[in-house]
Amino acid sequence: MDIAELKAELEQHHAACFGWALSCCARDRGEAEEVLQTAYLKILEGKARFRGEASLKTWLFAVIRKTAANEYRRNLLRKLRSAVSSEQVSERAGGEVDAAFDRSEEQVRFRLALQRLPARQREALHLVFYEDLSLREAADVMGVSIGSTRQHYERGKKRLREVLKRTEVDYGISWRGKENPGAV
Amino acid sequence: MELVGEEKKIQALFSELRLADQQAAPSFVGTWNRAQLRPRARVSPLGFSFAAAAFAVFVAVVALALWSNSRQQAAQPNHTVAVTPATPATPLVTPPATIVPTSKVISTAEQRQAARNLRAARFAARQRAELLAARRAEIRDATAISSWQSPTATLLSSQNDALLNSLPQLNESVKELKSFLPNK
Repeated sequence: MDIAELKAELEQHHAACFGWALSCCARDRGEAEEVLQTAYLKILEGKARFRGEASLKTWLFAVIRKTAANEYRRNLLRKLRSAVSSEQVSERAGGEVDAAFDRSEEQVRFRLALQRLPARQREALHLVFYEDLSLREAADVMGVSIGSTRQHYERGKKRLREVLKRTEVDYGISWRGKENPGAV
Repeated sequence: MELVGEEKKIQALFSELRLADQQAAPSFVGTWNRAQLRPRARVSPLGFSFAAAAFAVFVAVVALALWSNSRQQAAQPNHTVAVTPATPATPLVTPPATIVPTSKVISTAEQRQAARNLRAARFAARQRAELLAARRAEIRDATAISSWQSPTATLLSSQNDALLNSLPQLNESVKELKSFLPNK
């Protein structure tokens, strides 16, 4: 696949990639853009090569996830060096939350509930519900086994439900708590 | 993936989130162009510090090698070793002059080779000198032995030394032989 073809494919998945980058960067828009640019740069330079072992979308998500992890580590070191206080960071994040998601209180609560989930569980839920991937594809993106992904998925659902109940989010439909037998 | 119950509700929330993200997503062209404009080779702080440490170690090793080399040269000053034989019987052996140009610094490999050659020449000269000294000692001893005289040698000398030291010839006549006999 040459770069022009790849570029066309990337353009198709761009919105989904941005959503995934947002999820990987704890909904930090600036950081997500940075991660996406770095991921595209990796692809441009050939540091990340698509070998056809998985679908392009899965491979792309895996590249973004790895890039986000690297950026997170780098930013953490930078923050430690510049001694930015955690209060400032949380204030900034909170401000962005308010700006981006003032559409509905429900969405804000949902987002906050998502942020309370462990990263793996949040990733599993995002890949399945947001990106419409199967558990196998989600496992490929996360770089873990399908069994492990299933566990993260189930625990994530349970925890999300608990957090949402605690924050008294009204979904309009009552929680029935049924399991999903076809989720593979 | 078939979704039931709570999954549908979660998916509805994720769908709303996705819609919001898509509206807020930057354009693909912009992101792609910014990725292309970014500096290609980004050196991580860890990689930079590792390179700096490796360079420092390299400089230290080179400095140590040069210092030890110059110290060796200072300890053994340049001179010409010439050994002249004491007697004509011994062959004239003159080791080659060992002159090392200290001011000329070419390269580390050549310096090592020159130092190795110098050591070999010095070793050969030392061996030749030892051999010559041994031969001189042998000649001196032989001379001393050949000219040695017993302290009691004078007691053995007498007036008839000539008679004692001479022998009668086999073809002499009896008359002549009588001359050796004492007169009665």
